[in-house]
Amino acid sequence: MELSRRDFLKYSALGGVALAGISSTYFKRVQAEISAKPKNFSIIRSVCSPNCTGACAFDALVYKGRIETLTQSADYPEPEYNPRGCLRGQSMVNLIYGPDRLKKPLIRVGKRGEGKFKAVSWDTALDYMADKLVEIMKKYGPESVAVSVQVPGTGYVHKGALIRLASMFGWSAIHGYTMNGDLPAFWSQTFGVQTEEFESLEWMESKYIAIFGSNVFVTRLPDAKFLSIASERGAKIVVVDPNFSPTAAKADEWIQINPSTDSALALSIVNEIIKQKLYDEEFIKTYTDMPLLVRLDNQKRLRAYEVKELKDTAEKLRQQTPDYRDIFVVYDRNEGFKVVNPETLERDFDPVLEGEFEVELVNGKKVKVKPVFQLLKEEVAEYTPDKTAEIITPPNRDKKEYIDAIKRLAVEMATVRPLHIIYGASNYQWFHGDLKGRALSLIVALTGNIGKSGAGISTYAGQFKIRWPLGAWWSFKGRKNKWVTYLLWMNKEYRESEEFRKYNKETPYPKNDVKAFIFGWNNPFDQHNMANRMIELAESGELELIVAIDFQMTTSCRWADVVLPGVAWYEKYELTATILHPYVQLQQPAIEPLFECMPEIWIFKELAKRLVEKWNDPELKENIAEFYPDPELFKEEEGAKATGTWSLKLAREIAHKASLKAVDLMLKTGGDLVEGITLERLLKEGAVRLNIPTPNKRQIPFWEQINQKKPFPPQSFPVPLPKTARFVKSGRIEFYKDEDIFIDFGETLPVHKDPFVDTEYKLNPDAKKYKYVYITRNALYRVHSTHSNNITMLELQDFKPRVWMNPETAKEKDIREGDLVEVYNDRGRVVGYAVLDVGIHPHVIIFEQGWWSRYLKGTSYNTLTYPWVKAIHLAYFVPGIWEPTTAWNEVACDVRKV
Amino acid sequence: MVKYGMVIDLNRCIGCRSCAVICKIHNSLPPGTWWHRVETVGSKEHQVSTGEFPNLSEVYLPVPCMHCENPPCVKVCPVGATWKREDGVVLVDFERCIGCRYCMTACPYGVRQFNWQDSDESFEKGFKATGFEEGFVEGYRHGYPVDHRTKDGRLVYTPKRPRGVVEKCTFCVQYIDQGLKPACVRGCPGNARIFGDLDDPNSEISQVLRDKGYIKLLEDMGTDPKVFYIPPMRKKNRGAVKYSAEIEGGV
Repeated sequence: MELSRRDFLKYSALGGVALAGISSTYFKRVQAEISAKPKNFSIIRSVCSPNCTGACAFDALVYKGRIETLTQSADYPEPEYNPRGCLRGQSMVNLIYGPDRLKKPLIRVGKRGEGKFKAVSWDTALDYMADKLVEIMKKYGPESVAVSVQVPGTGYVHKGALIRLASMFGWSAIHGYTMNGDLPAFWSQTFGVQTEEFESLEWMESKYIAIFGSNVFVTRLPDAKFLSIASERGAKIVVVDPNFSPTAAKADEWIQINPSTDSALALSIVNEIIKQKLYDEEFIKTYTDMPLLVRLDNQKRLRAYEVKELKDTAEKLRQQTPDYRDIFVVYDRNEGFKVVNPETLERDFDPVLEGEFEVELVNGKKVKVKPVFQLLKEEVAEYTPDKTAEIITPPNRDKKEYIDAIKRLAVEMATVRPLHIIYGASNYQWFHGDLKGRALSLIVALTGNIGKSGAGISTYAGQFKIRWPLGAWWSFKGRKNKWVTYLLWMNKEYRESEEFRKYNKETPYPKNDVKAFIFGWNNPFDQHNMANRMIELAESGELELIVAIDFQMTTSCRWADVVLPGVAWYEKYELTATILHPYVQLQQPAIEPLFECMPEIWIFKELAKRLVEKWNDPELKENIAEFYPDPELFKEEEGAKATGTWSLKLAREIAHKASLKAVDLMLKTGGDLVEGITLERLLKEGAVRLNIPTPNKRQIPFWEQINQKKPFPPQSFPVPLPKTARFVKSGRIEFYKDEDIFIDFGETLPVHKDPFVDTEYKLNPDAKKYKYVYITRNALYRVHSTHSNNITMLELQDFKPRVWMNPETAKEKDIREGDLVEVYNDRGRVVGYAVLDVGIHPHVIIFEQGWWSRYLKGTSYNTLTYPWVKAIHLAYFVPGIWEPTTAWNEVACDVRKV
Repeated sequence: MVKYGMVIDLNRCIGCRSCAVICKIHNSLPPGTWWHRVETVGSKEHQVSTGEFPNLSEVYLPVPCMHCENPPCVKVCPVGATWKREDGVVLVDFERCIGCRYCMTACPYGVRQFNWQDSDESFEKGFKATGFEEGFVEGYRHGYPVDHRTKDGRLVYTPKRPRGVVEKCTFCVQYIDQGLKPACVRGCPGNARIFGDLDDPNSEISQVLRDKGYIKLLEDMGTDPKVFYIPPMRKKNRGAVKYSAEIEGGV
């Protein structure tokens, strides 16, 4: 009720002197309301889990059926973890109850992208979608249906349900890890794994933390405290980054280098370490391929069974070793050429690391060989401090400082232990990001900083990780889905190129291309609209069906033909895990799903039901009730439909039960890592630590390999070991790669390669005119594009997108602070307001990704990017592990005032 | 007697503004109202470097109400709507405040805000500024959902403050009176904040204030604030590439 000042004073005058308490109708009413009812709050613990890797538990305070506040649960067993949470998760209510919240299923009525829809019933939307899908499946084959399931690590139940559906028909799943460029390709090449990282608690154990291009204090907010504590305990923090950042601000040293020159710096440091003999000989002899011999005639590793004097021993050993291994050779300082057993790291040889030897092959030919270490030493000798300073020193800095810094850093990193290198996504999301990663890995490997508390190299992007086998839920009766690589879908020219034909060994592609696109939990028309191709496919009609499953009307939903309203993490049960810590947690429904939104497991079950009716597959028809983990639940709902007692509420209740059953199923069939972790424990304890086989179950990469001498690699779920073990056939950390393609491209050992030479300038030599590097970094106010429409986040940004640049750049372009500018190249453009920062490298222009197009006057920051495919990523195909991965920052651009 | 105070460690503060947002959500602040602000010292734009290249720095300053021991706002309030409670928390009685805004001119920290319009209107305006045609799902407001009164019945928290009253950070009076810590302290991801009893020599806050050097904002104004800051350590030659003794002497 409106109350004016005058009224108030009138009432108070009437009411007499006592102003405290009841003197106005307004307050009288409110107070009566409150004191009449007891405080009936309920507190529900759930887990905030967008793709930020935080997986932070929040307590939702529910009052009158609404989430009124969110408070960090702060109940993790190790007190240092508490609290977890950030400004975005905190204001999640703005999205749940915000104006973009989807309410009902929608079918498009206008043109694609117009955003004109009609609201329909679930039955109508699902029937329509199923009909269209069957049509497409019949015409082009089921593999032409592509599904994008973003970051399944955040939701094993509901996201798993979409994979389960895909497995029924053999649809092609797009692996989000590579679609997002989050896969750092050096991991599989060097260690034979998908990716490994320390849990953030371990950051406190390091004494030297070298951060190469990661803005931890903006992108790993809930874990920031660990860096602070490490610093307080005396750790030195060094940030290597072309740009000053909040993380650089807290570091002891900021080493500013030219964009994408980290390989040069790393190799120069390696050169110093080798020259000054600061490497751990015993370590590299045992755990790496440094002592293995390489043939100089063909650059291939020397195989033991090729060697005349070793042939018999080698053949015998080969019989006993798995196919994914190979038998290599070292030169023992006493016994000469010896066979290396790849299935153990226990050494029965003392190998030399340097020198050149001659060996006689079985066919009588004599070839020269050198140990990998010798080749490495020769190669990095070129990366003298002087030459490297040429490459890395920014234009406004003094080369001499860098020459000295390289020498000093090498000594520091080799002697201060434990050393932790954090390699950031902004840094590895370049065409040659894998070379950088391999070079950085050399530093930790040579110094023995692997597999110990606080010692190693980590990358932290993407909540991709399948932390234990989930096949029981993710596959329907053992069926498998197919895969399609997003970059290949976007890059038709490359698919049809010579290079692709020549080098592609295993990567599949749907015979008739992708014709239907179903995406859940992602916003590809903003986030993956590289060179505007997503939109082109939609506009041209080449893509015949587009279906979005989301809880908000995003840009991508506007481009869809069908929009299905799902729920976020306070309206359903879900099983959640992350890479950043080893806790298994549940999401729980604090409230009833809003409007007609449904938990996604139900959506996919309903879709499965309809598809199976129309698709000729007897096994599916017979067993459809098994889509839900308990067929009785499926039948219960069907029964209710038959008797007319069905309601959305009932469907939700059943879906909740089915979700819990799926959780139970995955825990019961998950093996050792989840032994003893039950649904009951999760409900009671909140966060339960995985049974990682390390002291105190700490997440320490390669602990078993280093401490128990188990050969590399550890398994990367969900893939069976042989599939990734073949990447490191020696059973050791491999810095030398001898597949043909590595030899062809001169990348047998990590080298430095300049940005743009193999990409922008190759595609179009004229691109040299775009003198700036376009960095689309992550923002404080968003998790990728989630929270782009969060009113509180927008308020903090004054509702304005920004473009950061060096004042020199601004001067050259006659741009002043606050001007509206356009960043552009041949492919696209994006607008924002200029911010001048002297800490930005003079050749860099920064735009923060995640802004929905409607806030950018219809422009899209991804129109400037390009779906580059690096041929080396085609040498094998294991989805999300060895697969072409997006290089967001490999973009040349220019800027001008608008 | 308890005397509440707060310590903010600027070494640990990463300028993420989570505290500002936590406060906003928990205390039902509409667009345009911020009881807690976080800015970068010396820079108009948040998280942009200051200093002379390459010796750059970024220091963030979170500013809640200082809950002064000698509060100038209390002195000037003509109706006694704002007062300092026995436990040191400075509060506003929404039923007594007549909206003269004298307290706002008296406060040197600028932490007080006035409700020029109904908060519903603020939300409407905020959504429009963002380009939305509609606001929250019908009737939704975030925030601790019920009123809170002091023991003597004064209304010091209500989810919808009416037009015409001044409001500010209350150290989350609705929470501390239940034995909880203020929301910003509970939720700071940098673990940069401490809240507790300054009169208890064994409390964490007392120990920290004894062990570490601290500063107060605008100390010379004589307000005697009870929010203390641990200043950031000066890192020498920040940004410059350093020489070390070994290199100087040759290795």
